[in-house]
Amino acid sequence: MTTTPLISLRDAAVGYGRRPLLRAVNVQVRPGDFLALVGPNGGGKTTVLRSLLGALPLLGGAREQPRPVRVGYVPQRDHVDAVWPFTVGEVAAMGRTPGLGPLRRPGPADRAAVERALDRVGIAELRGRPYAELSGGQRQRTLIARALAAEPELLAVDEPTNGMDPAAELSTMEVLRALHGGGLAVVMVSHRLDAVVAHAVTLGFVDRERALFRVGPAAEMLRPGALAELYGREVEVREEAGRRVVLPAARGGGP
Amino acid sequence: MSALAGFWAARELWQAPLLASGIAGAMLGFLGVYVVLRRIVFVSAALTQVSTLGLVVGLFLEERLHIEAEHAHHQLGMAMGFAVVGALLLGAWRPRRLPAEASVGAAWVVASALVVLGIARLVHVSHDLSGMVFGNAVAVPPEELWLIGGVGLACAALHAAFGKELRFVSFDPETARALGMRVWLWDAIFSLSIGLAIPAAARVVGALPVFALLTLPAAAALLWRLRLGPALWAAGGFGVLSAVGGYLASWFGETPTGATMVALAALLVLPGAALRGRG
Repeated sequence: MTTTPLISLRDAAVGYGRRPLLRAVNVQVRPGDFLALVGPNGGGKTTVLRSLLGALPLLGGAREQPRPVRVGYVPQRDHVDAVWPFTVGEVAAMGRTPGLGPLRRPGPADRAAVERALDRVGIAELRGRPYAELSGGQRQRTLIARALAAEPELLAVDEPTNGMDPAAELSTMEVLRALHGGGLAVVMVSHRLDAVVAHAVTLGFVDRERALFRVGPAAEMLRPGALAELYGREVEVREEAGRRVVLPAARGGGP
Repeated sequence: MSALAGFWAARELWQAPLLASGIAGAMLGFLGVYVVLRRIVFVSAALTQVSTLGLVVGLFLEERLHIEAEHAHHQLGMAMGFAVVGALLLGAWRPRRLPAEASVGAAWVVASALVVLGIARLVHVSHDLSGMVFGNAVAVPPEELWLIGGVGLACAALHAAFGKELRFVSFDPETARALGMRVWLWDAIFSLSIGLAIPAAARVVGALPVFALLTLPAAAALLWRLRLGPALWAAGGFGVLSAVGGYLASWFGETPTGATMVALAALLVLPGAALRGRG
Protein backbone atom coordinates (compact mmCIF):
# COMPACT_ATOMS: atom_id res chain seq x y z
CA MET A 1 0.00 0.00 0.00
CA THR A 2 1.39 3.42 -0.86
CA THR A 3 0.75 6.36 1.42
CA THR A 4 -0.09 9.87 0.27
CA PRO A 5 3.07 12.01 0.06
CA LEU A 6 3.49 14.69 2.69
CA ILE A 7 5.11 17.01 0.15
CA SER A 8 6.11 16.61 -3.47
CA LEU A 9 7.63 18.58 -6.31
CA ARG A 10 6.38 17.81 -9.77
CA ASP A 11 8.42 18.79 -12.82
CA ALA A 12 9.74 21.70 -10.79
CA ALA A 13 12.30 24.29 -11.87
CA VAL A 14 14.20 25.46 -8.78
CA GLY A 15 16.58 28.36 -8.29
CA TYR A 16 16.95 31.96 -7.17
CA GLY A 17 15.91 35.05 -9.09
CA ARG A 18 14.77 34.08 -12.55
CA ARG A 19 17.38 31.49 -13.53
CA PRO A 20 16.63 27.89 -12.63
CA LEU A 21 19.52 25.93 -11.16
CA LEU A 22 17.74 22.66 -11.89
CA ARG A 23 14.77 21.73 -14.04
CA ALA A 24 12.48 18.71 -14.10
CA VAL A 25 12.81 18.04 -10.38
CA ASN A 26 10.40 15.30 -9.34
CA VAL A 27 10.52 14.16 -5.74
CA GLN A 28 8.12 13.01 -3.05
CA VAL A 29 8.46 12.71 0.71
CA ARG A 30 6.13 10.15 2.28
CA PRO A 31 5.41 9.62 5.99
CA GLY A 32 8.28 7.64 7.54
CA ASP A 33 10.63 8.23 4.61
CA PHE A 34 14.33 9.02 5.00
CA LEU A 35 15.31 10.94 1.90
CA ALA A 36 18.96 11.96 1.57
CA LEU A 37 19.86 14.53 -1.08
CA VAL A 38 23.51 14.05 -1.98
CA GLY A 39 25.76 16.00 -4.30
CA PRO A 40 28.73 18.34 -4.45
CA ASN A 41 28.89 21.64 -2.57
CA GLY A 42 27.01 24.29 -4.51
CA GLY A 43 25.24 21.57 -6.46
CA GLY A 44 21.72 22.76 -5.61
CA LYS A 45 20.80 20.39 -2.75
CA THR A 46 19.77 23.12 -0.32
CA THR A 47 17.87 24.87 -3.10
CA VAL A 48 15.85 21.70 -3.70
CA LEU A 49 15.26 21.33 0.05
CA ARG A 50 14.05 24.93 0.42
CA SER A 51 11.82 24.54 -2.61
CA LEU A 52 10.41 21.33 -1.20
CA LEU A 53 9.57 23.11 2.05
CA GLY A 54 7.94 25.98 0.17
CA ALA A 55 10.48 28.49 1.51
CA LEU A 56 11.69 29.23 -2.02
CA PRO A 57 9.16 29.95 -4.77
CA LEU A 58 9.34 27.58 -7.73
CA LEU A 59 10.36 28.96 -11.11
CA GLY A 60 8.22 26.32 -12.81
CA GLY A 61 6.28 23.15 -12.13
CA ALA A 62 4.28 22.48 -9.00
CA ARG A 63 4.67 21.88 -5.27
CA GLU A 64 1.98 19.70 -3.80
CA GLN A 65 1.06 19.35 -0.17
CA PRO A 66 -2.31 17.64 0.28
CA ARG A 67 -2.66 18.77 3.91
CA PRO A 68 -0.84 21.03 6.35
CA VAL A 69 2.38 19.37 7.52
CA ARG A 70 4.28 20.29 10.68
CA VAL A 71 7.89 20.75 9.61
CA GLY A 72 11.04 20.99 11.70
CA TYR A 73 14.03 22.60 10.00
CA VAL A 74 17.66 22.25 11.02
CA PRO A 75 19.93 24.69 9.15
CA GLN A 76 23.64 24.28 8.62
CA ARG A 77 25.21 24.80 12.01
CA ASP A 78 27.54 27.57 10.87
CA HIS A 79 24.60 29.54 9.43
CA VAL A 80 23.44 30.21 12.99
CA ASP A 81 25.26 33.10 14.63
CA ALA A 82 26.56 31.94 18.01
CA VAL A 83 27.21 35.54 19.10
CA TRP A 84 23.60 35.69 20.38
CA PRO A 85 23.56 35.05 24.14
CA PHE A 86 20.90 32.34 24.15
CA THR A 87 20.91 29.24 26.30
CA VAL A 88 20.24 25.78 24.89
CA GLY A 89 16.73 25.90 26.38
CA GLU A 90 16.01 29.30 24.80
CA VAL A 91 17.17 28.14 21.37
CA ALA A 92 15.06 24.98 21.63
CA ALA A 93 12.03 27.03 22.71
CA MET A 94 12.22 29.03 19.47
CA GLY A 95 10.88 25.94 17.74
CA ARG A 96 7.46 26.77 19.21
CA THR A 97 7.45 30.35 17.88
CA PRO A 98 5.95 29.80 14.41
CA GLY A 99 3.17 27.62 15.84
CA LEU A 100 2.31 30.06 18.62
CA GLY A 101 1.91 33.08 16.38
CA PRO A 102 2.30 36.73 17.41
CA LEU A 103 1.12 38.08 20.77
CA ARG A 104 0.94 34.64 22.41
CA ARG A 105 3.42 33.63 25.06
CA PRO A 106 4.62 30.05 25.55
CA GLY A 107 2.55 28.12 28.10
CA PRO A 108 3.05 24.87 30.04
CA ALA A 109 2.35 22.73 26.95
CA ASP A 110 5.06 24.57 25.02
CA ARG A 111 7.54 24.17 27.84
CA ALA A 112 6.75 20.46 28.08
CA ALA A 113 7.29 20.04 24.32
CA VAL A 114 10.69 21.76 24.61
CA GLU A 115 11.68 19.48 27.51
CA ARG A 116 10.66 16.39 25.52
CA ALA A 117 12.68 17.60 22.55
CA LEU A 118 15.80 18.19 24.67
CA ASP A 119 15.33 14.73 26.19
CA ARG A 120 14.96 13.03 22.81
CA VAL A 121 18.34 14.28 21.64
CA GLY A 122 19.99 13.68 25.01
CA ILE A 123 20.86 17.26 26.02
CA ALA A 124 18.30 17.96 28.76
CA GLU A 125 21.12 18.59 31.22
CA LEU A 126 22.54 21.33 28.96
CA ARG A 127 19.36 23.45 28.92
CA GLY A 128 20.93 26.30 30.92
CA ARG A 129 24.25 26.34 29.06
CA PRO A 130 25.02 29.19 26.62
CA TYR A 131 24.69 28.00 23.02
CA ALA A 132 27.98 29.75 22.19
CA GLU A 133 29.89 27.54 24.63
CA LEU A 134 28.80 24.21 23.11
CA SER A 135 30.80 21.85 20.93
CA GLY A 136 29.79 21.39 17.30
CA GLY A 137 27.95 18.16 18.09
CA GLN A 138 26.08 19.73 21.02
CA ARG A 139 25.06 22.72 18.88
CA GLN A 140 23.77 20.33 16.24
CA ARG A 141 21.69 18.50 18.83
CA THR A 142 20.37 21.82 20.12
CA LEU A 143 19.22 22.78 16.62
CA ILE A 144 17.63 19.35 16.18
CA ALA A 145 15.89 19.79 19.55
CA ARG A 146 14.55 23.16 18.37
CA ALA A 147 13.13 21.49 15.28
CA LEU A 148 11.62 18.68 17.39
CA ALA A 149 10.05 21.19 19.79
CA ALA A 150 7.57 21.96 17.00
CA GLU A 151 6.47 18.28 17.17
CA PRO A 152 7.02 17.87 13.44
CA GLU A 153 5.95 15.11 11.07
CA LEU A 154 8.82 15.98 8.76
CA LEU A 155 12.34 16.89 9.81
CA ALA A 156 14.47 18.71 7.21
CA VAL A 157 18.19 18.74 8.03
CA ASP A 158 20.83 20.63 6.04
CA GLU A 159 24.39 19.22 6.19
CA PRO A 160 24.19 18.19 9.85
CA THR A 161 27.61 16.51 9.95
CA ASN A 162 29.55 19.26 8.19
CA GLY A 163 32.88 19.91 9.92
CA MET A 164 32.34 17.29 12.61
CA ASP A 165 34.86 14.80 13.92
CA PRO A 166 33.95 11.14 13.27
CA ALA A 167 32.58 10.54 16.78
CA ALA A 168 30.29 13.57 16.66
CA GLU A 169 29.20 12.64 13.13
CA LEU A 170 28.32 9.12 14.21
CA SER A 171 26.47 10.41 17.24
CA THR A 172 24.46 12.94 15.17
CA MET A 173 23.53 10.30 12.62
CA GLU A 174 22.45 7.97 15.44
CA VAL A 175 20.11 10.69 16.70
CA LEU A 176 18.61 11.11 13.23
CA ARG A 177 18.30 7.35 12.79
CA ALA A 178 16.50 7.04 16.14
CA LEU A 179 14.11 9.86 15.21
CA HIS A 180 13.40 8.21 11.87
CA GLY A 181 12.91 4.89 13.69
CA GLY A 182 10.32 6.63 15.85
CA GLY A 183 8.23 7.36 12.76
CA LEU A 184 9.49 10.80 11.75
CA ALA A 185 10.00 11.51 8.04
CA VAL A 186 13.51 12.88 7.49
CA VAL A 187 14.91 14.81 4.55
CA MET A 188 18.63 15.31 4.85
CA VAL A 189 21.09 17.18 2.67
CA SER A 190 24.73 16.08 2.60
CA HIS A 191 27.67 16.44 0.27
CA ARG A 192 28.98 13.09 1.53
CA LEU A 193 27.30 9.89 0.43
CA ASP A 194 29.29 8.06 3.14
CA ALA A 195 27.47 10.01 5.84
CA VAL A 196 23.99 8.94 4.74
CA VAL A 197 24.42 5.65 2.93
CA ALA A 198 23.71 3.55 6.02
CA HIS A 199 20.52 5.42 6.90
CA ALA A 200 18.72 6.64 3.79
CA VAL A 201 15.64 4.85 2.50
CA THR A 202 15.47 7.05 -0.57
CA LEU A 203 18.43 8.74 -2.23
CA GLY A 204 18.49 11.78 -4.46
CA PHE A 205 21.57 12.78 -6.45
CA VAL A 206 21.81 16.51 -7.17
CA ASP A 207 24.39 18.33 -9.27
CA ARG A 208 23.40 21.42 -11.22
CA GLU A 209 26.69 21.43 -13.15
CA ARG A 210 25.66 18.15 -14.78
CA ALA A 211 21.94 19.03 -14.81
CA LEU A 212 21.55 15.94 -12.60
CA PHE A 213 18.54 15.31 -10.42
CA ARG A 214 17.79 11.68 -9.92
CA VAL A 215 15.92 10.14 -7.04
CA GLY A 216 14.99 6.56 -6.17
CA PRO A 217 15.11 3.83 -3.53
CA ALA A 218 18.54 3.62 -1.90
CA ALA A 219 19.21 0.08 -3.13
CA GLU A 220 18.61 1.18 -6.72
CA MET A 221 20.62 4.38 -6.43
CA LEU A 222 23.63 2.57 -4.97
CA ARG A 223 24.12 0.54 -8.12
CA PRO A 224 27.30 1.37 -10.05
CA GLY A 225 25.44 2.97 -12.97
CA ALA A 226 23.57 5.49 -10.81
CA LEU A 227 26.65 6.23 -8.70
CA ALA A 228 28.75 6.87 -11.80
CA GLU A 229 26.29 9.66 -12.73
CA LEU A 230 26.94 11.39 -9.42
CA TYR A 231 30.69 10.91 -9.21
CA GLY A 232 31.50 11.10 -12.92
CA ARG A 233 33.59 7.94 -12.58
CA GLU A 234 33.19 4.28 -11.69
CA VAL A 235 32.58 3.78 -7.95
CA GLU A 236 31.16 1.04 -5.80
CA VAL A 237 29.66 0.62 -2.37
CA ARG A 238 31.23 -1.97 -0.09
CA GLU A 239 30.30 -3.24 3.35
CA GLU A 240 33.26 -2.85 5.74
CA ALA A 241 32.98 -3.57 9.45
CA GLY A 242 29.22 -3.31 9.24
CA ARG A 243 29.30 0.10 7.52
CA ARG A 244 28.76 0.91 3.89
CA VAL A 245 31.54 2.93 2.30
CA VAL A 246 31.87 4.38 -1.20
CA LEU A 247 35.13 3.55 -2.95
CA PRO A 248 36.56 3.98 -6.44
CA ALA A 249 35.74 0.84 -8.43
CA ALA A 250 38.55 -1.72 -8.36
CA ARG A 251 40.27 -2.09 -11.75
CA GLY A 252 41.39 -5.47 -12.99
CA GLY A 253 39.61 -7.35 -10.23
CA GLY A 254 42.43 -7.10 -7.63
CA PRO A 255 41.63 -6.06 -4.03
CA MET B 1 25.65 80.29 45.19
CA SER B 2 27.09 76.78 45.14
CA ALA B 3 27.17 74.77 41.92
CA LEU B 4 24.43 72.46 43.22
CA ALA B 5 22.23 75.33 44.31
CA GLY B 6 22.72 76.99 40.93
CA PHE B 7 21.86 73.74 39.23
CA TRP B 8 18.66 73.37 41.24
CA ALA B 9 17.69 76.97 40.62
CA ALA B 10 18.00 76.38 36.89
CA ARG B 11 15.85 73.23 36.97
CA GLU B 12 13.37 74.59 34.46
CA LEU B 13 16.21 74.60 31.97
CA TRP B 14 17.40 71.04 32.47
CA GLN B 15 14.35 69.06 33.56
CA ALA B 16 12.97 68.35 30.09
CA PRO B 17 16.35 67.74 28.38
CA LEU B 18 17.46 65.46 31.19
CA LEU B 19 14.27 63.40 31.06
CA ALA B 20 14.37 63.27 27.26
CA SER B 21 18.03 62.21 27.35
CA GLY B 22 17.15 59.43 29.79
CA ILE B 23 14.36 58.18 27.51
CA ALA B 24 16.70 58.35 24.50
CA GLY B 25 19.40 56.47 26.41
CA ALA B 26 17.04 53.71 27.54
CA MET B 27 15.49 53.29 24.11
CA LEU B 28 18.77 53.32 22.18
CA GLY B 29 20.53 51.09 24.70
CA PHE B 30 17.76 48.49 24.41
CA LEU B 31 17.60 48.62 20.59
CA GLY B 32 21.40 48.65 20.43
CA VAL B 33 21.53 45.04 21.68
CA TYR B 34 19.71 43.99 18.50
CA VAL B 35 21.84 46.35 16.41
CA VAL B 36 25.09 44.89 17.77
CA LEU B 37 23.99 41.25 17.65
CA ARG B 38 22.51 41.58 14.15
CA ARG B 39 25.89 43.01 13.14
CA ILE B 40 24.34 46.18 11.73
CA VAL B 41 26.18 48.76 13.80
CA PHE B 42 27.07 50.71 10.67
CA VAL B 43 23.48 50.56 9.47
CA SER B 44 22.60 52.59 12.55
CA ALA B 45 25.40 55.06 11.73
CA ALA B 46 24.10 55.37 8.16
CA LEU B 47 20.52 55.83 9.40
CA THR B 48 21.61 58.55 11.77
CA GLN B 49 23.08 60.43 8.83
CA VAL B 50 20.06 59.66 6.63
CA SER B 51 17.70 61.06 9.28
CA THR B 52 19.84 64.22 9.53
CA LEU B 53 19.64 64.44 5.76
CA GLY B 54 15.84 64.27 6.08
CA LEU B 55 16.00 67.25 8.39
CA VAL B 56 18.25 69.14 5.95
CA VAL B 57 15.98 68.33 3.00
CA GLY B 58 12.98 69.52 5.01
CA LEU B 59 14.66 72.81 5.82
CA PHE B 60 15.87 73.19 2.26
CA LEU B 61 12.40 72.62 0.81
CA GLU B 62 10.89 75.01 3.30
CA GLU B 63 13.38 77.68 2.32
CA ARG B 64 13.05 77.15 -1.43
CA LEU B 65 9.28 76.78 -1.46
CA HIS B 66 8.80 79.52 1.14
CA ILE B 67 6.81 77.24 3.38
CA GLU B 68 6.40 78.08 7.03
CA ALA B 69 9.69 76.66 8.22
CA GLU B 70 10.11 76.56 11.91
CA HIS B 71 7.73 73.83 13.00
CA ALA B 72 9.79 71.22 14.77
CA HIS B 73 7.31 68.45 14.10
CA HIS B 74 7.57 69.04 10.32
CA GLN B 75 11.34 68.75 10.50
CA LEU B 76 11.16 65.71 12.71
CA GLY B 77 8.56 64.16 10.41
CA MET B 78 10.96 64.51 7.49
CA ALA B 79 13.83 63.05 9.53
CA MET B 80 11.65 60.10 10.61
CA GLY B 81 10.39 59.54 7.09
CA PHE B 82 13.93 59.40 5.74
CA ALA B 83 15.12 57.14 8.55
CA VAL B 84 12.22 54.68 8.27
CA VAL B 85 12.48 54.48 4.48
CA GLY B 86 16.28 54.22 4.76
CA ALA B 87 15.98 51.43 7.34
CA LEU B 88 13.52 49.51 5.18
CA LEU B 89 15.67 49.93 2.07
CA LEU B 90 18.92 49.00 3.78
CA GLY B 91 17.19 45.99 5.32
CA ALA B 92 15.59 44.81 2.10
CA TRP B 93 18.00 45.82 -0.66
CA ARG B 94 20.91 43.44 -0.85
CA PRO B 95 22.69 43.69 -4.20
CA ARG B 96 23.77 40.19 -5.13
CA ARG B 97 27.18 41.07 -6.44
CA LEU B 98 28.15 43.34 -3.56
CA PRO B 99 28.58 42.72 0.15
CA ALA B 100 25.86 44.34 2.30
CA GLU B 101 28.49 46.71 3.75
CA ALA B 102 28.81 48.38 0.34
CA SER B 103 25.23 49.72 0.34
CA VAL B 104 25.51 50.71 4.01
CA GLY B 105 28.80 52.54 3.36
CA ALA B 106 27.35 54.24 0.30
CA ALA B 107 24.27 55.38 2.25
CA TRP B 108 26.45 56.75 5.06
CA VAL B 109 28.93 58.61 2.88
CA VAL B 110 26.35 60.04 0.47
CA ALA B 111 24.05 61.15 3.31
CA SER B 112 27.02 62.69 5.16
CA ALA B 113 28.15 64.59 2.08
CA LEU B 114 24.66 65.87 1.38
CA VAL B 115 24.28 67.00 5.00
CA VAL B 116 27.53 68.97 4.71
CA LEU B 117 26.36 70.50 1.42
CA GLY B 118 22.99 71.30 2.99
CA ILE B 119 24.62 72.96 5.99
CA ALA B 120 26.73 75.04 3.61
CA ARG B 121 23.62 76.23 1.76
CA LEU B 122 21.42 76.73 4.80
CA VAL B 123 23.64 79.29 6.46
CA HIS B 124 20.96 80.63 8.77
CA VAL B 125 20.39 77.25 10.43
CA SER B 126 23.89 75.82 10.10
CA HIS B 127 24.62 76.34 13.79
CA ASP B 128 21.54 74.32 14.82
CA LEU B 129 22.34 71.62 12.27
CA SER B 130 25.90 71.32 13.50
CA GLY B 131 24.48 70.91 16.98
CA MET B 132 22.26 68.11 15.72
CA VAL B 133 25.18 66.29 14.14
CA PHE B 134 27.67 66.68 16.95
CA GLY B 135 25.28 66.56 19.85
CA ASN B 136 24.75 69.91 21.48
CA ALA B 137 21.04 70.06 20.86
CA VAL B 138 19.97 69.92 24.48
CA ALA B 139 17.20 72.46 24.71
CA VAL B 140 14.08 70.30 24.57
CA PRO B 141 10.68 71.95 24.33
CA PRO B 142 7.77 70.09 26.02
CA GLU B 143 6.26 68.85 22.74
CA GLU B 144 9.53 67.09 21.89
CA LEU B 145 9.58 65.49 25.30
CA TRP B 146 6.12 64.12 24.58
CA LEU B 147 7.29 62.98 21.17
CA ILE B 148 10.32 61.06 22.36
CA GLY B 149 8.20 59.61 25.16
CA GLY B 150 5.67 58.46 22.58
CA VAL B 151 8.35 56.96 20.34
CA GLY B 152 9.89 55.22 23.35
CA LEU B 153 6.52 53.75 24.30
CA ALA B 154 5.86 52.67 20.70
CA CYS B 155 9.22 50.88 20.53
CA ALA B 156 8.63 49.25 23.90
CA ALA B 157 5.17 48.11 22.80
CA LEU B 158 6.47 46.66 19.50
CA HIS B 159 9.23 44.74 21.26
CA ALA B 160 6.99 43.58 24.10
CA ALA B 161 4.36 42.32 21.67
CA PHE B 162 6.64 40.75 19.07
CA GLY B 163 9.81 40.04 21.05
CA LYS B 164 9.85 36.29 20.43
CA GLU B 165 9.41 36.73 16.67
CA LEU B 166 12.05 39.48 16.49
CA ARG B 167 14.50 37.31 18.43
CA PHE B 168 13.92 34.27 16.25
CA VAL B 169 14.21 36.03 12.88
CA SER B 170 17.23 38.02 14.10
CA PHE B 171 19.02 34.91 15.38
CA ASP B 172 18.21 32.52 12.55
CA PRO B 173 16.37 34.05 9.60
CA GLU B 174 17.03 31.00 7.42
CA THR B 175 15.10 28.66 9.71
CA ALA B 176 12.38 31.22 10.34
CA ARG B 177 11.90 31.54 6.57
CA ALA B 178 11.93 27.76 6.08
CA LEU B 179 9.19 27.45 8.69
CA GLY B 180 6.97 29.92 6.87
CA MET B 181 7.55 33.00 8.99
CA ARG B 182 7.39 36.29 7.10
CA VAL B 183 10.94 37.36 7.89
CA TRP B 184 10.63 40.51 5.74
CA LEU B 185 7.71 41.65 7.87
CA TRP B 186 9.53 41.17 11.19
CA ASP B 187 12.64 42.82 9.76
CA ALA B 188 10.44 45.72 8.65
CA ILE B 189 8.98 46.03 12.17
CA PHE B 190 12.50 46.11 13.59
CA SER B 191 13.56 48.66 10.97
CA LEU B 192 10.51 50.74 11.84
CA SER B 193 11.49 50.81 15.50
CA ILE B 194 15.05 52.00 14.82
CA GLY B 195 13.83 54.30 12.04
CA LEU B 196 11.57 56.05 14.58
CA ALA B 197 14.00 55.97 17.49
CA ILE B 198 17.05 57.41 15.72
CA PRO B 199 15.60 60.76 14.55
CA ALA B 200 13.58 61.25 17.73
CA ALA B 201 16.71 60.70 19.83
CA ALA B 202 18.94 62.67 17.46
CA ARG B 203 16.64 65.65 17.95
CA VAL B 204 17.31 65.48 21.69
CA VAL B 205 20.96 64.47 22.03
CA GLY B 206 22.45 64.86 18.53
CA ALA B 207 23.53 62.40 15.87
CA LEU B 208 26.93 61.41 17.28
CA PRO B 209 25.57 60.35 20.70
CA VAL B 210 22.79 58.43 18.96
CA PHE B 211 25.35 56.26 17.18
CA ALA B 212 27.29 55.86 20.42
CA LEU B 213 24.19 55.00 22.48
CA LEU B 214 23.17 52.39 19.91
CA THR B 215 26.56 50.71 20.21
CA LEU B 216 28.38 51.22 23.49
CA PRO B 217 25.71 50.39 26.14
CA ALA B 218 24.87 47.18 24.25
CA ALA B 219 28.55 46.27 24.05
CA ALA B 220 28.94 47.02 27.77
CA ALA B 221 25.99 44.76 28.64
CA LEU B 222 26.99 41.91 26.32
CA LEU B 223 30.53 41.86 27.69
CA TRP B 224 29.05 40.84 31.05
CA ARG B 225 27.98 37.53 29.44
CA LEU B 226 24.34 38.13 30.31
CA ARG B 227 21.50 36.24 28.66
CA LEU B 228 19.54 38.20 26.11
CA GLY B 229 16.69 39.32 28.41
CA PRO B 230 18.95 40.67 31.16
CA ALA B 231 21.31 42.12 28.52
CA LEU B 232 18.44 44.17 27.06
CA TRP B 233 17.60 45.60 30.50
CA ALA B 234 21.26 46.21 31.35
CA ALA B 235 21.91 47.94 28.03
CA GLY B 236 18.85 50.15 28.60
CA GLY B 237 20.23 50.99 32.04
CA PHE B 238 23.71 51.74 30.69
CA GLY B 239 22.07 53.94 28.06
CA VAL B 240 20.26 55.93 30.75
CA LEU B 241 23.46 56.22 32.80
CA SER B 242 25.42 57.43 29.76
CA ALA B 243 22.83 59.96 28.61
CA VAL B 244 21.75 61.32 32.01
CA GLY B 245 25.23 61.09 33.53
CA GLY B 246 26.75 62.68 30.45
CA TYR B 247 24.22 65.52 30.57
CA LEU B 248 24.92 66.20 34.24
CA ALA B 249 28.69 65.91 33.80
CA SER B 250 28.57 68.34 30.91
CA TRP B 251 26.50 70.77 32.98
CA PHE B 252 28.91 70.80 35.88
CA GLY B 253 32.08 70.38 33.82
CA GLU B 254 30.95 72.86 31.14
CA THR B 255 31.90 70.37 28.43
CA PRO B 256 30.08 69.64 25.14
CA THR B 257 27.04 67.55 26.08
CA GLY B 258 27.03 64.99 23.26
CA ALA B 259 30.73 64.24 23.48
CA THR B 260 30.48 63.86 27.26
CA MET B 261 27.67 61.33 26.85
CA VAL B 262 29.79 59.37 24.37
CA ALA B 263 32.82 59.45 26.69
CA LEU B 264 30.75 58.18 29.63
CA ALA B 265 29.21 55.42 27.48
CA ALA B 266 32.73 54.37 26.48
CA LEU B 267 33.82 54.31 30.13
CA LEU B 268 30.95 51.98 30.98
CA VAL B 269 32.33 49.43 28.50
CA LEU B 270 35.58 49.12 30.43
CA PRO B 271 34.47 46.93 33.39
CA GLY B 272 32.94 44.33 31.06
CA ALA B 273 35.98 44.43 28.80
CA ALA B 274 38.25 43.91 31.82
CA LEU B 275 36.10 40.97 32.93
CA ARG B 276 36.32 39.41 29.48
CA GLY B 277 40.06 40.10 29.41
CA ARG B 278 40.48 38.00 32.55
CA GLY B 279 38.78 35.18 30.64
